[in-house]
Amino acid sequence: MNNLKDKIDALLMKVSKPTRYTGGELNSSIKNPEEVKVRFAFAFPDVYEVGMSHLGLRILYHLLNKREDVYCERVFAPWLDMEKLMRENDIPLFSLETKTTLDKFDFIGFTLQYELSYTNVINMLNLAGIPILSRDRKGLPFVIAGGPCAYNPAPLSDVIDFFVMGEGEEVINEIIDAYIDWKKRGGEREEFLQIVSQIKGVYVPKYYMEVYNQDGTIKEIRPIKKGVPEKVKKRIVKDFGNAYHPEEQIVPFMDIVHDRIMLEIFRGCTRGCRFCQAGMIYRPVREKSKEKILDLADKLIKSTGYEEISLTSLSTCDYSQIEDLVKKLIDKYKDKGVGVSIPSTRVDAVSINLLKEIQKVRKTGLTLAPEAGTQRLRDVINKGITEEDILEATKEAFSAGWTNVKLYFMIGLPTEMMEDVEGIVDLAYKIVDNYKEVKGSVKNLKITISTSTFVPKPFTPFQWTAQDSIKDIVEKQDLLKKKLKSKVLKYNWHNPYMSFLEAVISRGDRKVGKAIIKAWEKGCKFDGWEEYLNYDKWEEAFKEVGVNPHFYANRERSLEEVFPWDVIDVGVDKRYLIREYKKSQEGRITPDCRLYCTGCGVKDFDEGVVCFEASKK
Amino acid sequence: MKRLRNKYTKDERVKFISHLDLLRVFQRALRRANIKVAFSKGFNPHPKISFGPALVVGATTEGDYMDIDVEEDISPEEFRKKMNKVLPPGIEIVESYEVELNDALSTKIKGAEYILQVNVKKSIKDIQNKIEEFMKRDIIEIEKESKSGRKMVNIRPYVLELKVIYEAENYFKFYIKLKLGEGAPNPLHLLKALNDYIGDLFDMDFYKLHRKNTILE
Repeated sequence: MNNLKDKIDALLMKVSKPTRYTGGELNSSIKNPEEVKVRFAFAFPDVYEVGMSHLGLRILYHLLNKREDVYCERVFAPWLDMEKLMRENDIPLFSLETKTTLDKFDFIGFTLQYELSYTNVINMLNLAGIPILSRDRKGLPFVIAGGPCAYNPAPLSDVIDFFVMGEGEEVINEIIDAYIDWKKRGGEREEFLQIVSQIKGVYVPKYYMEVYNQDGTIKEIRPIKKGVPEKVKKRIVKDFGNAYHPEEQIVPFMDIVHDRIMLEIFRGCTRGCRFCQAGMIYRPVREKSKEKILDLADKLIKSTGYEEISLTSLSTCDYSQIEDLVKKLIDKYKDKGVGVSIPSTRVDAVSINLLKEIQKVRKTGLTLAPEAGTQRLRDVINKGITEEDILEATKEAFSAGWTNVKLYFMIGLPTEMMEDVEGIVDLAYKIVDNYKEVKGSVKNLKITISTSTFVPKPFTPFQWTAQDSIKDIVEKQDLLKKKLKSKVLKYNWHNPYMSFLEAVISRGDRKVGKAIIKAWEKGCKFDGWEEYLNYDKWEEAFKEVGVNPHFYANRERSLEEVFPWDVIDVGVDKRYLIREYKKSQEGRITPDCRLYCTGCGVKDFDEGVVCFEASKK
Repeated sequence: MKRLRNKYTKDERVKFISHLDLLRVFQRALRRANIKVAFSKGFNPHPKISFGPALVVGATTEGDYMDIDVEEDISPEEFRKKMNKVLPPGIEIVESYEVELNDALSTKIKGAEYILQVNVKKSIKDIQNKIEEFMKRDIIEIEKESKSGRKMVNIRPYVLELKVIYEAENYFKFYIKLKLGEGAPNPLHLLKALNDYIGDLFDMDFYKLHRKNTILE
């Protein structure tokens, strides 16, 4: 047993779910690493079944492997049983495809989807024997990161060599081309960082420094290297309709979280919900044509054999030809037993009709997201639906035979009062009455109410607001626990400590980054898994590095404050965010920008950017 | 509708796929091959696919069986070719033939042959004699866990053959032939019993198990 593969095999005999680590799934890429110029490890800082459910990984993996000179392999955070065995047996973190240790790669590219996976980023580097601090690394590989959380690069600035802002489909190829060129010349590590700092969308943190005011807020983010941009602009795929979408998809052996075809039908969202970071940072809205989607669906079904196809986007029912698209897909594939699913349902009659259509092949649940319990608060967050919408939609659904409804709310929203929380209870009971009216009794009815805790995020109109204290959140959850006690109601809530940490990190600066490293040193990892979160360790870590977490989570900012993420330009104008913030305080709504342009600024962000609204004219 | 009996192999690359996952692998392969599989009637229809006895996770095979009922007139040979085009690397159907619709695979399976490779902890002398002594016993008991708790089970009646076929410095290879059926042990149970008998000379953590063949009636 001398080679790594045999050693790994011996460990796999003892771990749970060994196919998390084996690779070899259908449509995974098999290449000879000797024959490529660049080896890229796509790293997802969570366990396999979570990471494999992520669309971005699937797109970039196949996109990179289309190139003959690149081999992209995958690596995930090993589950705790596997990590323990790996450390005991001195087995470094390895890629799934060829079982190569990560230090042999040219790039390790992390996707940052969730702040509570940051300790896993550090842990994975450490498991690979790679120094966790960028400045301690010599030679290869380069540790890079992208994804929605990268838009605030500050907390991981000491760890990541460079960040890639925005959509990766084009810029990743530019980076790789530059790399091949640099490698051929035999350049120094530092030289490559300088080269990429000139590529649009790339942020090299060591070329910038945070300068602080006396009160701990940021005075400025100062470029300290000549020639680097003052602000790094995110990348946008302009011709999204014809942009690369894989025609095949890896089919895992084990059951993963989203075990189905994922077909991205459009990018961006026009709704303008003020709490939603995705709705801001993925602008502008760009659709794929119906013909293109049908063609991709056909190829994906043939190449995977999956029994379900999910039409993904931030708000799938908003696709301009959604009814026709769903009908065509159902008609074409129902005999093969392939069902369609849509990840989120709008609260209106059209959506309920769509679900009825979808039911023809496979039973589907009804999930609605009113987000807030009262009309006042829904207006504050610009969730453009009314109570009548919700009641009508559920009534329609009950008449059509549904008996299970899931409702998603947030608590701790800006301006929220106890009566707004009570509004959640009222709404739940109105839906119960609704059911009684339609069916005559509450027989078989099951309503699941879930509340998440609001986390103010960068680049949203609520980036200035304070998060509720843990005490307030617990009080609100307790009220709901007490009042949602009924045979037909079930209440789920989020761990408030997790939401608090998420808030600290998401608006954190470089000082917060030191606390993350300290927390990892104390053994924190998988913080997003409630059973493994160790909040006491985090508290110690904050104390030891002298960071007050409440300064980041629970403080209202002034409009003039400089944010750690102000060095990044996501295309949505700060003036628009301020306007929306002010309107929220007045409880005024802003209509969907499919109706008319609300002036977020992304249209004028970059040459050639066309958003949905503009293309109609 | 017709029932096709298939002999398939699973090599090193896919040896960690569980029995349950394998069912999904075949279902999706059938869809890729555009072969219509028959479904059971009833409230919750499921595809009519049945497997022989489960293989231990981590084991390879070159002789496992499965039956698939198809709703179309396809020859076994065409079926085999179509499926092999779309199965993941490491899984292959090596033989396919039609059987009667009332011919249940589970009643046909009689036994299986295995090759088991295991690392040795200390040098072992005279293993062949020790095995003979071990096999001469009428009762070979192992501890089995069941719903009602742990109990001792005699596995001797299931053991048809056990012999060493290769001795290297740090590992042994055994040939094992077992009867299959209700209460049958797997080869690891047998080897563990042998290991206990000879005084813990094998490292049971490092083994390779391969099903050489399944014996049908």
